[in-house]
Amino acid sequence: MAPFISAHDVSLVFKSKDRDPVTALNRLNLEITKGEFVSIVGPSGCGKSTFLNMLLGLLRPDSGQMQMNGTAITGPGQERAMVFQEFGLLPWRTVTANVELGLELKGIAAGKRTERAMELIKLVGLQGFERHYPHELSGGMKQRVGLARALATEPEILLMDEPFAALDAQTRDLMQSELLQIWERTRKTVLFVTHSIEEAAYLSDRVIVMTARPGRAKETLKIQLPRPRDYEMRLTPEFNEIKSQIWEVLKEELISRV
Amino acid sequence: MKRLANFYTEREPSILGGGFILLLILLWELMPRLLALPQGFSLFFTTPWQVIEACYQLFVENKIQEHFYVSSIEFLAGLGLAIVVGLPAGLITGRSRNIDAMVDPFVTIFNATPRLIFLPLFILWFGIGIWSKIVIVFIGAVFPLLINTYEGVKNVDRVLVNVVRSFGANEWQVMKIVVLPYSVPYIIVGLRLAIGRAILGVVVGEFFGASKGLGFMIATAATNYKVDVVFVGVAIFMGLSLVLTMAVKKFESKLSRWRPEEAKTF
Amino acid sequence: MKPKEYFAEHRRLWLGLGSVLFVIAAWEALLTYVIPLNPFFFTKPSLIAVAFKEQVIYGALWNDLAVSSKAFLWGFSLAILFGIPVGALMGWRRKAGYTLDPFFTALYASPLVALAPLIIVVFGVGLFAKSVLVFALSVFPFIFNTFAGVRSTDRLLINVVRSFGGGEKDLYLKVIFPSTLPYIVAGARIALGRGLVGIIVGEFYAASEGIGYAISRFGDTYRLPEMFAAIFLLMIAAVALTEGMRKLESVLAPWKTTQETR
Repeated sequence: MAPFISAHDVSLVFKSKDRDPVTALNRLNLEITKGEFVSIVGPSGCGKSTFLNMLLGLLRPDSGQMQMNGTAITGPGQERAMVFQEFGLLPWRTVTANVELGLELKGIAAGKRTERAMELIKLVGLQGFERHYPHELSGGMKQRVGLARALATEPEILLMDEPFAALDAQTRDLMQSELLQIWERTRKTVLFVTHSIEEAAYLSDRVIVMTARPGRAKETLKIQLPRPRDYEMRLTPEFNEIKSQIWEVLKEELISRV
Repeated sequence: MKRLANFYTEREPSILGGGFILLLILLWELMPRLLALPQGFSLFFTTPWQVIEACYQLFVENKIQEHFYVSSIEFLAGLGLAIVVGLPAGLITGRSRNIDAMVDPFVTIFNATPRLIFLPLFILWFGIGIWSKIVIVFIGAVFPLLINTYEGVKNVDRVLVNVVRSFGANEWQVMKIVVLPYSVPYIIVGLRLAIGRAILGVVVGEFFGASKGLGFMIATAATNYKVDVVFVGVAIFMGLSLVLTMAVKKFESKLSRWRPEEAKTF
Repeated sequence: MKPKEYFAEHRRLWLGLGSVLFVIAAWEALLTYVIPLNPFFFTKPSLIAVAFKEQVIYGALWNDLAVSSKAFLWGFSLAILFGIPVGALMGWRRKAGYTLDPFFTALYASPLVALAPLIIVVFGVGLFAKSVLVFALSVFPFIFNTFAGVRSTDRLLINVVRSFGGGEKDLYLKVIFPSTLPYIVAGARIALGRGLVGIIVGEFYAASEGIGYAISRFGDTYRLPEMFAAIFLLMIAAVALTEGMRKLESVLAPWKTTQETR
């Protein structure tokens, strides 16, 4: 079966004025099938966020190809939507207006937009907050708006760049469970970047471990936990075993950097 | 007694500040009665009440309306042009590094020099009709607007720009949806400064090359030792300045509903 | 490849320089080949350069600049001597601040140049009147910036110095003055601009010497190249002073003042 998303020998070098050029990615190869929940973990600076931005279309690779559904990725497109670590909500817009952003740019009429936005606001559990401004919301709530906004345009893949890293530990756990619930209902393809092994193992079907910079896909582990997953699974010895396996692979990369 | 004390402490700033101003005005009014002014000095002296009387006189004799009208047109036209040119220019220079580099030396040079030095040149080119004043108002007001809009654009949060671009927005949409709303507080500051410079332009422009206008009225009154009329003109400009500044502040707070209180630093 | 790399790195500088040179060249070309040079309305860079050499190097323009500078410095220094202590008083004693703030704010917000004709009529034409005008315009930034600077002094630092046995003098020297200095320098830059307006207006109006006078005199006699030469001389002085101030600010000020705040 042809992969849904593929990256082949993708490389990128960052040139800067004062410093030596930095190779962010060096011949990265990756494939994702439709409906999968895939996580990428890797040491800091390994280029995972860079790769995500390239899939989003905001950065171009220096060499290699990236394809979705057989066509090359050359720029942003509504089939790929991102949830940002820093939320990225427009502070002067209400929750509803923020969720509508993608639909607005797609040219959808105002009435239909608001209808769809309302559905999603309900989906992420923010009813009653439609007319609030971002500065009135907590971190977790802001990220829910981010998620609603990304889902509004019905993208084919959801790219998530350490979306819960800016939240406190309790909110983070809560959001992970909520994300899984929403995912079960929509079954989108998700590419999730994170630092946390536990988060990656809990959420994904597959975990890809990246090497230290310059980044490459080092190894892929399949997560053999049944779905739907619940919080108690995180306390089982099987889960710990999975975490150890991932850690073993990741460990080498961290040590090699130090 | 306690209630009076409470009333005072609550409103101390306004009582002290307002009281001081009232005291000064009162002293000013009473000065000729309290002190014996030297003969020559009284030629240059006037009191608040005389100023009010002079203002009433001018109004009733229909002498002031035309001056006011002319000055207003010069002010509004010059400021309007400055907004229409300065805002887009600030947006474009903020977004394009190349254009910024090319325009920067001119902006720096013209912003540092007092634009009034061009007044003789403009009078030479445009005569003493309203156009020379409109131009001097324009070049005075355009720079704060351009510079502050530029600063707003440069400071836009990169994440927000990436967010909107990731949804497939083109450059024009990015400007409209992110850059412009984000820059509004900066533009407001620029507008306040521009208004001050615009008034300056009207005043000075009308001193030196005009046949009508409040500035002209002030200049001719001064040479005729009509000090009360001078102060009528000064008071009108002062009042306009204050009213416009307050209006801009009101406008700003209306547009800033989405900002958390601490962020309102302007 | 060397020149290309060098160009790319200093792109900003080259683009800026290039655009200025382009404008000058285009101006010259336009009035040499395209538009007939009516000497009563237009002039071109080559003529201005000649006039500049004549007036500045051999002529009286230097003297005019000196006269203007003298009046400016008098007014500006008085503004510093009066403005900083008053601002400091307002910042240090709350009641003084409450009393004086609205009054000074009202004056600051009004176009005090409107009083220029009156000042000239009362004080006559000359150094004194010009200095008064410069003072009136440039004193307020000093007052308000010193006020803001003193008020923003970190109370914690004051307590620290006090707890080590410091007296009033120590507080002023070791805490308040250093922390207010950046504000004062920023105020000086703004006051500079306003003072320049004062000197120009004073000299346009009724003077017999000074660079503002020179500009308006050349204008009256339709001597455009000389007029532009005088304008450029003033521009050079103004830019030099302003940029010098900015450099001073960036050395002394820990925070960025990229916005024109007053």
